[in-house]
Amino acid sequence: MSPASTRVPTETPSLASRGLAILSQPWVTAILALALVIALGLVFHGNGAFYKWGTHRDALRLISVYAILACGMTVVILAAGIDLSVGSVLGLIAVAFSILVVRWEWSAWAAIPACLLLGACCGAASGSLIAWFRIQPFIVTLAMMVFARGLAKKISNGEKIWSAQTPEIFTRIDSRLLGENISVVTLVFLACLVICWIGLTRLRWGRYVYAIGGNEEAARLSGVPVTAMKIGVYALAGLFSAVAGICHAAQEYQGDPEAGATYELTAIAIVVIGGTSLMGGRGGVGLTLLGTLIIGYVDKILSINAVPEANRLMLTGAIIVVAVLVQRRKS
Amino acid sequence: MNALRCFALAAAVVVSCVVGCEKSDSTTPSAEPASTAGEKATSGGEKESFTIGMSQCNLGEPWRVQMNADIKKAASSHPGLAVIYQDAQNDTLRQRSHIEEFVSSGVDLIIVSPKEAAPLTPPIAKAVKAGIPVIVLDRRVLGDEYTCFIGADNKAIGQAAGEWLVTQLGGKGRVVELKGLMTSTPGQDRHSGFRKGIEDSEIEVVFEADMKWLQPDARKEMESALARFDDIDAVYAHNDPGAYGGWLAAQAAGREKDILFIGIDALPQEGVQYVKQGILNATFEYPTGGATAIETALQILHKQDVPKEITLGSRLFTKENVEAGGDPIAAPASVATE
Repeated sequence: MSPASTRVPTETPSLASRGLAILSQPWVTAILALALVIALGLVFHGNGAFYKWGTHRDALRLISVYAILACGMTVVILAAGIDLSVGSVLGLIAVAFSILVVRWEWSAWAAIPACLLLGACCGAASGSLIAWFRIQPFIVTLAMMVFARGLAKKISNGEKIWSAQTPEIFTRIDSRLLGENISVVTLVFLACLVICWIGLTRLRWGRYVYAIGGNEEAARLSGVPVTAMKIGVYALAGLFSAVAGICHAAQEYQGDPEAGATYELTAIAIVVIGGTSLMGGRGGVGLTLLGTLIIGYVDKILSINAVPEANRLMLTGAIIVVAVLVQRRKS
Repeated sequence: MNALRCFALAAAVVVSCVVGCEKSDSTTPSAEPASTAGEKATSGGEKESFTIGMSQCNLGEPWRVQMNADIKKAASSHPGLAVIYQDAQNDTLRQRSHIEEFVSSGVDLIIVSPKEAAPLTPPIAKAVKAGIPVIVLDRRVLGDEYTCFIGADNKAIGQAAGEWLVTQLGGKGRVVELKGLMTSTPGQDRHSGFRKGIEDSEIEVVFEADMKWLQPDARKEMESALARFDDIDAVYAHNDPGAYGGWLAAQAAGREKDILFIGIDALPQEGVQYVKQGILNATFEYPTGGATAIETALQILHKQDVPKEITLGSRLFTKENVEAGGDPIAAPASVATE
């Protein structure tokens, strides 16, 4: 419980109700949780490492791949779905992209669109099964998760794809801009975030997503093209998985068929900690940005303090619970 | 809509059939010689051809892919030898049933690289009781109900890495240790061996973190180490991808030239290549034992005596000797005679 929400009722009623109204806004509570995490960093700064910009730039670089997955996941969850396959599709695309640019020496201008298309197709395949056959998204995307991982291992023969001649596109993506102050992958994440934000808040498409998440049958009856929308939403998640896969391969300088295992769980955690409801229909991509920063900073603070792995896992669990408690909605 | 669904269903069935067929195609080359080998043996009287069952605990790690490749390569030079490969996908019970299948199908010898000791000891003992020799590769089982154990010594390799670092740094320096999964025996042994190697020197481990064998995690931890310490002399990582991840972090900070990078495993397509490119300063081979296993298997099948335990030596690869194939590091005598 936050101290604020326990203190408020003792003050004057009008102020109290206003305060509570603001505090029950998910974005306010997410900011509170983020402030809590940053405060932890300011106290446990690891020999002053937390006060250096480089630490923050690296924290943002590290979380970017997860955050790109979380952008797609936000849209899927808003439409009352779930996509467990994003981590495996990331691995598949990391391998496919590496094969295209390392082995086949394709230009990046051809390889990137091809990979984005492949990712979107994986998502659309899941979406089609969910929309046409009305199978649970959990099961369909679980199947896609296993299938895509198998395909990644198949096309790579179980080996990591890399070469001594690092393709230029890898170095380009894994570089920094604005006077070495921000990583390219972080900018890619911000671009994905803006695309999702525009789609969800400025376009009719976004209202349809919220409508389906709120009440699918009502949305269908009021003329929302639910089938097409669902396929589109999962295709978008696949597309973002492909973007993340390309970024991941570039940062690793190789295509690892095991890449992205369990990343889907981190992506879901980011979305939920931001304050988007797993039931669908409530939340937004701005909250996902806050969730990204919370998870990213927890990870970085534990890392600069060289906390042993066992304590790290326990602390991460505890911090996530506290973060969610801080932003618990008023019933 | 309904027609569309039927079409999609039909398409799914066709696709799964195609995938299924392809899968069975790819496994037949290993299974087919096995049956023909068996027939030859029964009709010929004197046994000239043998079937070996190889149970691998998982093929998710490149090192284990390399082990299977080494076995395949060694076996291919013996025409009478057919090897059936099984991958337990990191599932102990699945590996157990693979071993039991080998026993019931009557292979001549079993090579097993077990996932863990306790649950796999009984099936291996049963195979030996049934008269099938078993070679245990890399990880141990309990007791002595097996024919031969072949493995390398992680402690000795970690110690060699520590001692090499002491000579390189002149006995003094600040080191970052990027550890493998510390709940795994290789991680623990590579850690304790290294500490033993540097114990009499003034080398200080200023930062240590568990990177779980993963390159992205190693990069993350190294970024933290670089942010905390302005003066780092060397990075010791428990595997080569970890050392490479550390190097990537140092390169991004423009500090890779001031730091020595040491890894372990030295897979031909991985660590050795990193040394060739000047990324790693040294890597210590953790041999797969695949070739030794096939040699030993042939000796057993030809009724020759083999030692109960074979400890594999390691090799050190540096920029100077990598083209020549590295320098051998002898297995420590204390272990070999154990």
